[in-house]
Amino acid sequence: MENAVSVSQLVKNFVLKKREGMRWTESEVKAVDGITLSIEKGQSVAFIGPNGAGKSTTIKMLTGILHPTSGEASVLGCVPWKERTRLAKRIGVVFGQRSQLWYHLPPRDTFELLSKIYEIKQDVFKSRRDMLIERFQLSEFLDTPVRKLSLGQRMRAEVACSLLHGPEVIFLDEPTIGLDVIARQELRDLISEWNRENGVTVFLTSHDAGDIQHVARRVIVINHGRVVLDDRVSRVRRQYLREKVLSVKYADTPESISLDGVKTLKESGHAFKFEVDTLAVPIEKVMSEIMRIGSVVDITIEDPPLEEVIAHIYSAPPTEFGDDAPDDEPDENESKSS
Amino acid sequence: MNWLTSYTNLASAYIKINFKSLLAYRGAFISQMVAMFINDFVWIAFWCLFFTRFPVVKGWGVNDVITLWAIAASGFGLAHMIMGNALALPGIIMRGELDSWLLYPRAVLPHLLLGKSSASSWGDFLFGIVVYAIFVKPDLPHFSLFMALICSVAVLFVGFSVFTGSLAFFMGSAESVSVQLRIAMITFSTYPSPIFQGFVKILLFTLLPAMFVSHLTVSALRNMSMLDALYSFGGALGVLLAGIIMFYVGLRRYESGNLMEMRG
Repeated sequence: MENAVSVSQLVKNFVLKKREGMRWTESEVKAVDGITLSIEKGQSVAFIGPNGAGKSTTIKMLTGILHPTSGEASVLGCVPWKERTRLAKRIGVVFGQRSQLWYHLPPRDTFELLSKIYEIKQDVFKSRRDMLIERFQLSEFLDTPVRKLSLGQRMRAEVACSLLHGPEVIFLDEPTIGLDVIARQELRDLISEWNRENGVTVFLTSHDAGDIQHVARRVIVINHGRVVLDDRVSRVRRQYLREKVLSVKYADTPESISLDGVKTLKESGHAFKFEVDTLAVPIEKVMSEIMRIGSVVDITIEDPPLEEVIAHIYSAPPTEFGDDAPDDEPDENESKSS
Repeated sequence: MNWLTSYTNLASAYIKINFKSLLAYRGAFISQMVAMFINDFVWIAFWCLFFTRFPVVKGWGVNDVITLWAIAASGFGLAHMIMGNALALPGIIMRGELDSWLLYPRAVLPHLLLGKSSASSWGDFLFGIVVYAIFVKPDLPHFSLFMALICSVAVLFVGFSVFTGSLAFFMGSAESVSVQLRIAMITFSTYPSPIFQGFVKILLFTLLPAMFVSHLTVSALRNMSMLDALYSFGGALGVLLAGIIMFYVGLRRYESGNLMEMRG
């Protein structure tokens, strides 16, 4: 299958100036240190790593914002930093921390403006806009100024804007940042639906394990500017997200829990925090046991923080990440985390 | 030609959306516009008082100064009501906010400049036209030339703002330098040109090209001199070209940022 993105030995160094007494000294900081990867058309890939790992710098080079220090890259056959405007017509970009919506105006006005920026023919624009309004359920707030929208509504409109010109690849840099559980889930559903039904290649960065599990089929982990893991999400998930943390609040003091694979992390009054190894014991069994030993008032299930998973991946020996798993193995995107 | 049509369409789309965005807070927009109108008018009042005491300054009368103020204010206003981001350029570069503009399939500089409209500039623009029409009472040829010269001055101010704003690519924090140079440019553009002689005059035709506003435009209108008008246009295009070169050379050094951003 044809590649949407091909990167070879991509390097980006930034010059850091420091003042030492009366003198200025310059040193180089390696933000991206020889990344090599390729992404097939239609794939959905999570590109993750801790803060400062080089994710955003890589995205910026792949979208033509930054020139690399060395190395090669091709996105849809274009060299991003040399053919920026040509490429821009074929890609969509969503930065969770940057908005292309006009703050004081309704999303409808931004749609109109984007049609002029991308020079979309009026009939094509209208049909695509109406389709996005329907799919992203924008009609209820299409004429409301952006400043009055919830963050969830705003991000839905934001993603819709980035799809208006019909991009073949969409780069999403932390699109769910700051969203509540429901809004996050809605946005993930929309992105994965768009990937499945329209064949758009998705390149996602996020610190949220749920985004990665739900949207991506493949995960690339980078740290210190290098790729430290490139594998299917299902495989990584099985290996590292097998532990769940259950926070349970009981009405009274419950009986003690005695199940293999369940560890009590914290106990305070009637509140408990358990760590469950889902490989040792199915989560359904743990839930039944929790319900059996006392009257439950509240319960939350969480994945371990992604930072922890990344740190674990980075510190693990490379042999742990073989690529011998069968290709037809089903994804586990359907599992949801909150 | 296609390029020109495409960017004219883009400019009209931006003028429309910028105006809508300003009108979202109608009261604030109108008050900024009125405040700028009054501010400019105070200067005209000052010059009128001055000329009652000294009717001629090196060949310039009160009408010349009013013409100068009208052209400078309207030119500055036109520049920044259409290309308001010219004023914000150093901050945009410094904070790494060019990223958003580099993601669109458009030439980054014109697109970026069109992205904002300065509310007070609308006051400047209207002030110049109203004052010229009321005080100078021009005939149609003079008024037509006046409007053309406004465009020339607007191009010059945009070019100058781009040039000084692009210093941020090389200096990092260039906001205050850029503001100081812009203020100097406005100041020298609004004084009768004959008072500057010798080295200062050379400076005002080169590094701080205020003479293209204060000298050539007034002279063109006073004598209906197409040659002076052409020189004025030539100077404006030269400054714009210098600004464009400075921007694109600087863009190669651009390092983006990660700040939160919102438009409009």
